Parts: sequence; C-alpha cells; structure tokens
Amino acid sequence: MTGMLDMDISSMMHAIVPALATTALPALPMAGINWHSVLFLLFAGLACGFAVGVVAADNVVRMALYLVFSLGATAGLFFLAGAEFLGAMQLMIYVGGTLVLLVFGVMLTAQAPFVSIKPSSSDRTLAAVAGASLLALLLTAAFSVDAWMAPGAGVVPAPTATPLGMALIGVRVDTPPSGSPSGGRVGYMLPFEIVSVHLLVVLVGAAYLARAKRRRTPRAIDAVASAMPVEPAVVATAAVTAPGRTTGGAKSALVGGGR
Amino acid sequence: MDLESLLPTLLGLAWLLPLASFAVILFAGPRLGNHGKGAAGVATAAIVGSFVLSLFAFVSWVAQHPVRAVAHEDHGGAHAAADPSHGSGDHATTSHATAAGHEAGHDTGHGDAVHAGSPVHYSGDWYTLYEGGRLKLSIGWYIDALTVLMFVMITFIATCIHVYASGYMHDELHDITDHEVHLADGSHLHRPGRFHRFFQALSLFCFSMLGIVIAGNLAMVFIFWELVGICSWFLIGFYYERKNASNAANKAFIVNRIGDFGMLIGLMALWGALGTLHFADSTGPDGHARPGLFSLVRPPVAGHAQWVPDGMVKFAAEEKVGAVLRSHADDPRAGVEQVEAKVEDWRDEGYGRWLLLVAGLGIFCGCIGKSAQFPLFVWLPDAMEGPTPVSALVHSATMVAAGVYLVGRFYPVLTPDALLVIAYVGAITLFIAATIALVANDIKRVLAYSTVSQLGYMMLALGVGGWLAGLFHLVTHAFFKSLLFLCSGSVIHACHTNDMRKMGGLAKVMPWTSGTMLVGCLAIIGAGVPFLDIGLSGYYSKDSILAQALLFARENPSHSILFYAVAGGAMLTAFYMFRLWFMTFAGHPRDHHVHDHAHESPPVMVYPLVALSILAVVAGWTLPGGLGIANMIEQARPAGTGGTELGGLLFSAFTVPAEHASHAHDIHVTASLTAFATAATGVLLAALMYVWGVIPPATVAAAVKPLSTFLANRWYFDEIYRFLFVLPVLGISQLVSGTDKGIIDRFIEGLAWGAKQVAGFDAWLDRTLIDGLVNGTASATYSVGLELKKLQTGQLRQYVMFIALGTVAIFVLAGLLFRSSFAG
Amino acid sequence: MMNVSVAASILPPGLPLPVGFGMIPLFAANPFTEPVGVIHYLIVGAVLFTAGIACMTLKRNALGILMGIELVLNGANINFVAFSSSYLRAEGAPTLGLDGQVVALFVILLAAAEAAVALAITLNFYNNHATVDVDRADDLKG
Repeated sequence: MTGMLDMDISSMMHAIVPALATTALPALPMAGINWHSVLFLLFAGLACGFAVGVVAADNVVRMALYLVFSLGATAGLFFLAGAEFLGAMQLMIYVGGTLVLLVFGVMLTAQAPFVSIKPSSSDRTLAAVAGASLLALLLTAAFSVDAWMAPGAGVVPAPTATPLGMALIGVRVDTPPSGSPSGGRVGYMLPFEIVSVHLLVVLVGAAYLARAKRRRTPRAIDAVASAMPVEPAVVATAAVTAPGRTTGGAKSALVGGGR
Repeated sequence: MDLESLLPTLLGLAWLLPLASFAVILFAGPRLGNHGKGAAGVATAAIVGSFVLSLFAFVSWVAQHPVRAVAHEDHGGAHAAADPSHGSGDHATTSHATAAGHEAGHDTGHGDAVHAGSPVHYSGDWYTLYEGGRLKLSIGWYIDALTVLMFVMITFIATCIHVYASGYMHDELHDITDHEVHLADGSHLHRPGRFHRFFQALSLFCFSMLGIVIAGNLAMVFIFWELVGICSWFLIGFYYERKNASNAANKAFIVNRIGDFGMLIGLMALWGALGTLHFADSTGPDGHARPGLFSLVRPPVAGHAQWVPDGMVKFAAEEKVGAVLRSHADDPRAGVEQVEAKVEDWRDEGYGRWLLLVAGLGIFCGCIGKSAQFPLFVWLPDAMEGPTPVSALVHSATMVAAGVYLVGRFYPVLTPDALLVIAYVGAITLFIAATIALVANDIKRVLAYSTVSQLGYMMLALGVGGWLAGLFHLVTHAFFKSLLFLCSGSVIHACHTNDMRKMGGLAKVMPWTSGTMLVGCLAIIGAGVPFLDIGLSGYYSKDSILAQALLFARENPSHSILFYAVAGGAMLTAFYMFRLWFMTFAGHPRDHHVHDHAHESPPVMVYPLVALSILAVVAGWTLPGGLGIANMIEQARPAGTGGTELGGLLFSAFTVPAEHASHAHDIHVTASLTAFATAATGVLLAALMYVWGVIPPATVAAAVKPLSTFLANRWYFDEIYRFLFVLPVLGISQLVSGTDKGIIDRFIEGLAWGAKQVAGFDAWLDRTLIDGLVNGTASATYSVGLELKKLQTGQLRQYVMFIALGTVAIFVLAGLLFRSSFAG
Repeated sequence: MMNVSVAASILPPGLPLPVGFGMIPLFAANPFTEPVGVIHYLIVGAVLFTAGIACMTLKRNALGILMGIELVLNGANINFVAFSSSYLRAEGAPTLGLDGQVVALFVILLAAAEAAVALAITLNFYNNHATVDVDRADDLKG
C-alpha cells in the first residue's frame, strides 16, 4: 500500500519514457532528451491550444469539447508538477463534474439560434488587443523574477494525498518549505468546513434558482383574508362557518369597511 | 318666633329671591315660555315674593314696635331722639345676634346707654368671608325701622315696575328692527329680542339694591354698591347697539368710579384707624364685645355725643404715640397704658378731627357719584337712554337714592363740617339741575334733571341736620318719581317720541296717564293746604326740608343761601313740572301725526300707575295714632343725632340745629307758606306761559336768550368737563401715543430694519455661497453621475473588458511610476 | 546556459527588465533537453488566463462566459501548483509548499460550486428571456 502510494506518476514516467524512447526511436539523439520536458511541452501545448480553441470556436458544443481537452491537459501538467492528488481532483471534479454540468447547460439551452452566436469582428479585434496586452503584462511579470527563471531542481516530491487530507482536517504532516512564514503549521480545518457549508448552500441555492416555476394556486382562506383587511373577527367567522358564503361576506365586509 | 330671628330670615329671603330669579333667567332665560316671555313671570314672582316677605316683616315690626308720634316734650335735651318703645316701659331691644342668628344677645352691660338713645336694631352675620386680625369681612345684616321701610318701598316700586315692564318691553319678545341704529349700508339694525335679559338684569339689580339696604357693614355696602353700578351699566346700555346708549352706560360707570374712588379712601381711613367696618356692635369670637362704627364715633359713655374715636386719635397722633412708647421702651405695657391715658388729652387737642372729616367726606364722595350730585351729576340725564322702566326704578327711585340712604345710614359718623359740605353740594346740585330742567324738551330728561334736583334736596336736608326730612323725602320721592317716570314711559309708548314739543292735548286720549301724572306732579311740588296740614306725600317731606333749612338759616345767617336755594328750587320745580304736564297733556295737539296715533296704554301698564299714584298721595300721611312713614323713620334715628351740633373745622363756627326744633310752630308755618307760595307761583307761571299763552315761551326765551342758551346747553357742564378732563386726558394720551409711535416705535422699527438688513445679507450669503456650494456639489455629482451612467451599459462582456484593460493599465502605470519589477 | 540574471546584469541597474530580454535566452535553449522551470508553467497559466479573459469578453453565449471563467480559474490554479511544486523549483528558491495545492484544491471546489450556481442563473435567465445571449441581459443598464 505504502509503496503504491509512494509511487509517483512523474517518477514512473521518468523511468518508463526513456526506456520507450530508447527502444522505439533508436535513431534519434535520445541521450540529452529530458522526457519530463517533452511531456510538459506536450501537455502545455494541448492546454494552450485547446484554450485558444475555446476562444476561437463559435459553436458552443465545440467550445465545451475543447474545454474538456484543455482542462484534461492541465490535469496532466499537475501530474508533471508533482501534484498528483490535485491532478486527480482536476480530472474528477472538473472534467467529470463541472464540465458535465456545463454540457447539461449547453444541451438545455442548445436551441438553434443559440448554438452558435458569432461575435462581431470589432469584438474580436478588441478581445485580441485586450488579450494580447494582458498576456504581455502577465508574461512580463512572470519573466521579471529571477528565481522563477531558473530551471527546476528536479526534486521528486513526496506523495501529496496524505498530507493534503491531513491538512484539510487541521493536521500538517508535510515538511514545511524553508522560509515559510507560517512554518507550515497552519491547518485548513476552518476553510474546509466553510467550503463544505458553502457547497451545501450552493446546492440548495442552485436547486432553488433552477427549479421549475409553477403557478401558485391560492387557498380559499388566503383569498378571503386578502379581500377583507378590516375585521379579523369577521374573517375568522366567515372562514370558519361557511367557505361557500365567504364571497358574499367578504363583499359586504368590504363595503362596510370601505372608507 | 321673636323679631330678632324672624326679621333676618324674612328680609334675607326677600333679599335672595331676586338673586334666585336672576340665576334662573340667566341659565334658562330664552327657554322660559314663548321667546322668553316666562322670564317676566319669574322675575315678577320673585319680586312679589320679596314684597310679601317685606310686608310681613313690616307688619311684624309695627306690631312689635308700635309707631307713635314723635315726642316733642324734651326739646332741650342733648339727645332728643324719641325712644319709640319708651311708652311700653321696656328697654329698646338691641341685639347682637351672632351668625347663627338665634342667640339672644341682650347686652345688659350698657343698658343705660341703650336706653339713652340707641335705636332699635338687629344685627349679625350670615356668613363670614374672612376673619383675621382686626379685619372681618362678612355678609351680615343691620335691620332697623329704616331698613324695613326701605325694603317695603323698594320691593313695592320694583313690583309695580316689573308688572309695567312686562307690558312696556313687549316688543323685545320678537325680533326687533331698531330704527335708531343706522348700519353702514344705510339699513336699520335687525336683532333678536332680549326680553329675558332685561328681566335678568332687573332681578340682579333688585338683589343688589336690597343688599345695600340690608348690609351690616360698609364693606358689604361697597360690594353691593358696585353691583348696582354694574346693573345700571347693563340696563342703561340695554340698547347697546345705539351709540348713545353704550356711551351713556360707559359714562355712568366711569363717573361712578370717580366717586367710588373717594369712597375707597373713606373706607381705608375708617378701617385703618378703627379696624372695623361694622355698623353695629358685635361680639367677637373671643366673647369680647366689638364696638361698631356707630358706638365708636358716638360712644354710649359719652351720651352718644360725637367724638373722635380713640383709634383715630392715636392714628393722627402717631408721632406722640411713638414718643410715649419709646420713652417706655423698657416696659411696653406701661407705655400702652400711658398712651391710653393720654388719648383724652390728645382728643381735646383736636387730633383725629380731620381724619374723621376725611372719612365722612370720602364716603360722601361715593354718594356724590351714585346720587348724581354736583359735580358728578352729568351721567344721570344721559342714563335716560335706557328703557323707561329702568329709568323709573334704577335712575330715580332706588339706586340713585342709595347715596342718600348711605349718607343717612352713615349719619352718626359725619361731622358737622362734613354735613355742611353735603348741604352745599346738595344746594348747588338742586339749583343747577332745576334750571336746566326749565328748558329741557325731552320728557325723560326733564324728569332726570328733576331727579337730580330732588336728590340735591335730600342731600341738603341731610346736610342741614334734617336727617328725618332727607330720608322722608327719599321715600316719598321714590313713589312719585317712579310714578312720573312710568307715566312718561306710557306717553313715550303711545307717541313713540320723547320730544314734548310734538305732544300736547294728550289728556283726552290718555286719561289715566294724564291723571296719574298730574298726581305725580302735584306730589313732587308738594301741593297741600298749609294751615290744614293736609297734602300729598311731597307736601310733608318738602315742608320738613324747608323748615329745617329755614331753621338752619336762622341759626346761621351766613348760610341763609341754603334756604333760598331750597325755596327757589321749589318754585323752579313747580314751574318745570307743570310745564311738562301742560306741554304734554294740555292745550291743543302740536303734532297731529303723533296725536292721532296716541292711545291709552294697556291695563298692565296702567295698574302700576294707579297703585303708585295712590302711594304718591298717601305716603306722607300719618294715621291717627302715629302710624306713618315719618314716625317710622324716626324710630331708626341714630343715637345722638337729634341734637344740636357745633361745627367749625372747615367753616367758621356754625350750628347744626336739632331737627325737632323745626317743628316749632313759627318755623313750620313760615316754611309751609313759603312752600305753598313758591309752588303756586311756579304753577301759575307755567300756566301763564303754556296754557293761556299770556306770556309766550318764545318771547321769554328770546328776551333772555343768553341765559336760555346757557341752560339749554346744560350750563356747558359736558363741555367744561370735556375741556377740563377729557381733552387733557386725550392730549396726554396723544402725547404718549405720539411718543410711543414717534420714538419708541421708530426705535424698534429701526432695530427691526437693521435686523432685516443683516438678515437680508445673511440670506444673500446663504443663497449664493452656501447654497451655491451645496447645489454646485450636488449638480456636479449629478452630472458626473449622468456621465458615469453611460459607462454602465449592462453589457457583461464590456465589464470584463474594462476589468482586463483596467488591470493592465494599473500595472503598467504602477510599473512606470515605481520603476520596480512588476511582481517584486 | 544563460538566464535572466545574466541578461539583467548587463543592463543598467534600476531599469525594469524589458519584455523579451529575458525570453531570448530561455527560448534559445533546447526545450527538449532543458529541465522545466516555474517559468514554463507560468507561461501556460498566463496563456490559459488570457484565453479565459478573451473568452469572457468575446462570447455572447452565457455558457461561453462560464467556460471563460473556468479557464481563468485553471490558469490561476496552474500558477499555484507551479509555485508549490518542489520539482519545478530552483535550488534555494522560495516555494509555497503544500499550501499552494490546498488553495488550488479550494479553487477547484469553489469553481464547481460557482459553475452550479452560474448554470442555475443561466437557466433562470433562459427561462425568463428565452435566450442565453448576455448582450440581451442589459436590464441593469444605467
């Protein structure tokens, strides 16, 4: 059990991919190839490409499909970064849950005029400008820190599922990184609880918002009460004695009470 | 039930019945019968009840204290008042009944003194308003023969006038168009009738008048004095929409206040020096006797001779009292004893005489106002603006007589000098009023001036020592003057005018009225047969006045003008009264329009005339055995006032003769003959001028034009008063109001103007600067908001765009500004 | 191997590093042989983020905007993961450690919740307006 848990996917890849490469592509200069980098490039390309595809596609169904791919590739990137639990969660929650939800939405609203709503070319241009400037800003920021520019040390991390689970119930079992201001001792019990309550609220709220609107049929007693705001006693007697006479009683009371 | 508790009960009830009537009419007036007609019934029933009670009291009195002829045998005595009960052999009953009214109070302590001359009287208090220290204010009674007589007289006349008025005021039962009131639009005033209100005021007046008569102390007199004043004001101003009437009411009220001011001074002098306002002796709560005013001024120990009371002596000799007390500072009790011992010396030195004079004259001031004496008589003729029954009851028979009554009641306290002042005031009044009456053409004004003149007679009589004569004339005059007024009311009712020049020849149309009025005229001029000594009521009273005046003139030749005034006044009276009668009833009609519409008044008005005319004839008679008004009044003669008095404080020494001396044969005959001669002359002159036309009145008037103009303008009294008092007051008022308007108002207006300027500047500042600031901020915010509103497009995608571009912009700007790495 | 620090050292101090200078040596290296660093992940995150933003500004379909949001969240998540990864970290460089992954986990959860609510809102909008075009949803226009 421990061995299986300790087996990290990226380390497995480190072991397997070079073997495959050497056997399947002997002609290629395989010696310096860093397979981790190659896989990264693959997933990164997929993620970025499909993300751009999402932007570019006009058909909402295709957008949903591209998004699935993009998020899946992102999950791969998580694996490559050593966050295998998070990658799993990404696949399960996003690809398996959120996107299914989205696809449901697409299907529920996918009537002919709305499947493909094309933006105007000016919108496209504007979006391109905004995206380009934002990208430039983000990249400039990313490149402006030396520490981030250095290549990774390649330290294979310990499996993260257990430390994550323990952290979420308030116990930290992982090794704190050097220089961490909190000393790595901070658990996430409270956020965990908040998020769980939040999810419950969301569940209820979503159910309420998306519920089918049904016309409310008022009860007889409500009709009488709203018709006669003046004499509660009369309302009570009228309502109690004979529902059939309420209309007449209400009318007379209304006439009598009208100012 | 003995008289002592019976009389206060009877007279108290008689007094309060009109008050009850007043209250009933006040609260239920318009609802009494048709248009308030029942009010007359209520008021008349009340006054009839009072009359019956008074009559009962009168009969009880006469039964208990038989009225006998005045004894003349003790002429030379110092106190010659006849003791009316002296024949029956027992003491005159002087009782000091307490508030409970049942405690027999025979005070044997000074029985001798009582026997010496204090008249029969009953006194006590019903209700004490306040008692503290020496001050005691109470509602009490002082009942003697005069009180009982006045009650009978007032209630009888009031009864007649109530009956008469219920006919006379008949118009008031319905809505009235008052032709004497011109509204701004030229029409006449139309108003609802005020029948009940008339009787309401009349009842209140009767209550007040009886209150004066029954009052046991001066404070109570003063209260009811003012009450009759206000009733008079109500009644004169009954037609208050008429400017004349409201002015006359105000004039009467204000002029009376002037007199009452003097009365207040007198009250203060009395109370400040003597500490009591009660007429009669009473018993204090501690059982000690509290001497009343009469006993203080005429103490029994001094044989009821007038002296200055101890209190006034000490009050006047204040400095000496202080010196004595200071010298005995170590032993205050001895000092007080020393003061008491020295009072006699100080009295002999004359201390307090002036104070007593001032007290007497002060009280007389009130009487001047109320009894319309010179110089305050100007209100009474104007008071004729009231309805005629009011003139008859209030302004001739009773209220104006209240002043004479008070002088009579207060007589023991008046010093000889005060009496002489009173006599002169009366003489001046009677002469002035009689001369004005000669030329007056308004029938009621003639009677009004006649009233003033007759009141002058009474005052003069009192002043020259004729206490009995004055009060006797008061009673007889009340009967015939009310008769005369009611007759004139009957004439006015028939002719709808007051102007005698439009009348004439009415005797045939109004036989009853003319007959009864003739009786009244004969009574007022004192018609009688001199040697048989038989005549109408006025004959007796007027003769006694003349006799007393003659006696006084004989004793004091320097004051003989008083007698001439009386004699001349008698002639003038005869002239103007018969001028009135002749102009009204005799001869040919002057205005046929008036004459043709004239008619005899209804029975309800004639019956009172007949009743009063009978009284006008017989009121002065003395029945065999002595029963008569004069002898009854004599029963009430204050102790010690029948004798000769010496005066000389204000005037050179003079003597006030004893009244019984005027009954001496020679005096009496002279007076009678004088009276007869003057009256006959007057009547003859009137007949010559107005019946036979031998001397045309126009010729006489033309011959003495300045004089007749002077008289027709009433001696210019109103003008003189206007010039002397009204105009200065108006001038001062204008000066004050000018000061107020010109200086004070200007100053305040200036302040206001300044404040307004400052406020205007503030407002400007507020409007431009502060409001501008606020409004500018608001409008700037508003316009910015309007502009910003355009940014909120509701386009979700644009928002995202803004966010993205905004983020980029912020970072770029931050990077450029801080020159640091973007993610540092 | 050149890195940014080298490039920065030849530039005058105090001047911000212009865009492109740091990139040149990085992309000059062979991507297949060089080990992956944080910067690579950051580039991917930036691209995803930008794509998400572009998606949000471009798509008129409400679901498209939802997808853009998912992309943005994922781009952020990639950054968190990169910063927390010990594998990608340079020697001696600071790291978020496990906290980054925890935050990313929360982001995923909240994204799921948000997706559910947003979808409900979209359906509501669709029910009321019979469209999913957000340009038609301008009821709050000022």
